[in-house]
Amino acid sequence: MAKKTNAVIVGGGVSKFGVRQAQIFDLFQEAAKACSDDIPALKPTDVDGLIVCTTMAGRHSSALNTAPLVAHRLGLKPTSICIRLDTLCAGSNSGIIVAKGLVESGIAEVVMVTGAEKVFMPQRWETNYTQLAVNDHDWDSAMGLGVPPPFFAMIAKMHMKRYGTTKEQMAHVSVANYNYGSTNPKAHFYPKTLSMEEALSARLIAEPFGLFDCCSLSDGGSAVIIASEERAEDLSDRPLVYIRGTGQHATHSMSAGWPGETLAEWPHLKRAAEVAYKNAQVSPKDIDVAQTHDCFSISEIVEVEELGFCKKGEGGAYVASGAINIDGERPINTDGGLLSHGHPFGASGARQSFELCKQLQGRAVNQVKGAKFALAHNLSGTCAQHTVVIYGTEPVE
Amino acid sequence: MADLQEAKIVGTPALDGRYISEMDMWPLECQEFNRLYQFYDNLREGRFTTTKCKKCGHIAFPPGVICPRCWSEELEWVDLTQRAKVVTFTETQAGAPLGFPPPLILAWLNFGKDSPIKHLLVRIINCAEGELKEGDEVKLVVFEVPAHPIEVKRETKVCNRVYYAFEPVKSASM
Repeated sequence: MAKKTNAVIVGGGVSKFGVRQAQIFDLFQEAAKACSDDIPALKPTDVDGLIVCTTMAGRHSSALNTAPLVAHRLGLKPTSICIRLDTLCAGSNSGIIVAKGLVESGIAEVVMVTGAEKVFMPQRWETNYTQLAVNDHDWDSAMGLGVPPPFFAMIAKMHMKRYGTTKEQMAHVSVANYNYGSTNPKAHFYPKTLSMEEALSARLIAEPFGLFDCCSLSDGGSAVIIASEERAEDLSDRPLVYIRGTGQHATHSMSAGWPGETLAEWPHLKRAAEVAYKNAQVSPKDIDVAQTHDCFSISEIVEVEELGFCKKGEGGAYVASGAINIDGERPINTDGGLLSHGHPFGASGARQSFELCKQLQGRAVNQVKGAKFALAHNLSGTCAQHTVVIYGTEPVE
Repeated sequence: MADLQEAKIVGTPALDGRYISEMDMWPLECQEFNRLYQFYDNLREGRFTTTKCKKCGHIAFPPGVICPRCWSEELEWVDLTQRAKVVTFTETQAGAPLGFPPPLILAWLNFGKDSPIKHLLVRIINCAEGELKEGDEVKLVVFEVPAHPIEVKRETKVCNRVYYAFEPVKSASM
């Protein structure tokens, strides 16, 4: 089908993330309300498509066919698409990829992509137990794989051994992201700031990770509006932010089939990024601001390498150089990232993309001056899949 | 909020203590629910196996009912090597899921140049915290895990189950 228009991200909204006294539909409603506050002209009747991104709703909220329920609670009556989508940690950025395709083909005009998770249950054990169900149950989960810190700790140990990465370099990621998040009231750990000393003296979670190297799980919701450029101009006077290119690459499950030479190499992220850069007609050096999946401090270090922001193996030195700070060459996770926000799986992608929308419209709290190109990245399935979305202030020609 | 001790009804009475497979941490291994039941039958005999494609020769893991390389259904069971070396590992004390008593030790194994499956991420058992080192040799270990009921016509049948992990070679010889 020929491309009929360009898809843009109009705006969005995020609920308060944290251990919330709320159930899943409260969080979807809070996210939609925040989205409507951000786009005052948007009415429920403007939305013709709904993509609902959640992993845990089926189990934790006994809501298996979630999308029609969310539509009802938000007062939407979709006519083009109304689906639930689950790619775990990449849920709502995957939804944005789908929405771009639907809008640019003319199947939909105005799509809400929303994600939410109710992670915390009346008894704490159930959250970790449910995490055994998010990976390959029979082969990974029965091995005790599924709770992320041990796996990413192995990645960190291997990156330290092969490339000389240090705990101090990892702490630079935590410090940068907590301090960005200290300006964001929606973040789980707002208004907490973090010093290098505090990061390095935190209690051990899994060697080599201290508490601030690991993102928390959180309850929360987010929503963005993806529309044709024509409809976007009806809905908002702000500058248009185009979804220029996307890439998503899945290679294996978890216990078997790792694509890298060691756990410190993520060739599947490199491939997803190559696809997205090609579609977006940009290169890594063009990216002014990024939101990368900082589930752990080491993740952001590997990501800046595989995304091409620095050479392979130099991610530790890159983050420690200040490149990721607001006055650096490429600020990363300027809203606080997963480390400060916590991580309600299906909600994190739209939370990231909303921040990049604000950056390219010149209205972010931690604004990167003159930003023209922005990149969002999620890993999901315990680093089995990578998702990349690239935004720009101009459409691809 | 009501005192739990004084609450008249706690839990999920409708389930009346029933087994719930959607909360089960182990696979449904029996033939009635799984075309890969042979893998578990082989484990019971101390064999670590997977499926090899008779058409293209590809050896996949986990096993399957088609070849993930050429989509052929003509597969055969082949034995995998049961010994590997620890490339890296991690020991979890806090935050291990229920059913995995700490320390939960996970390791990334290298099965060597001759193995069709080069690496696997596995659980290490029969190993004290602090005992494992990078480069250590480990071997397959098979153990019983809880059985589950299934309804066969009006009868309830019990399916016994096994699962596998790896253990240090030296501790096994002691």
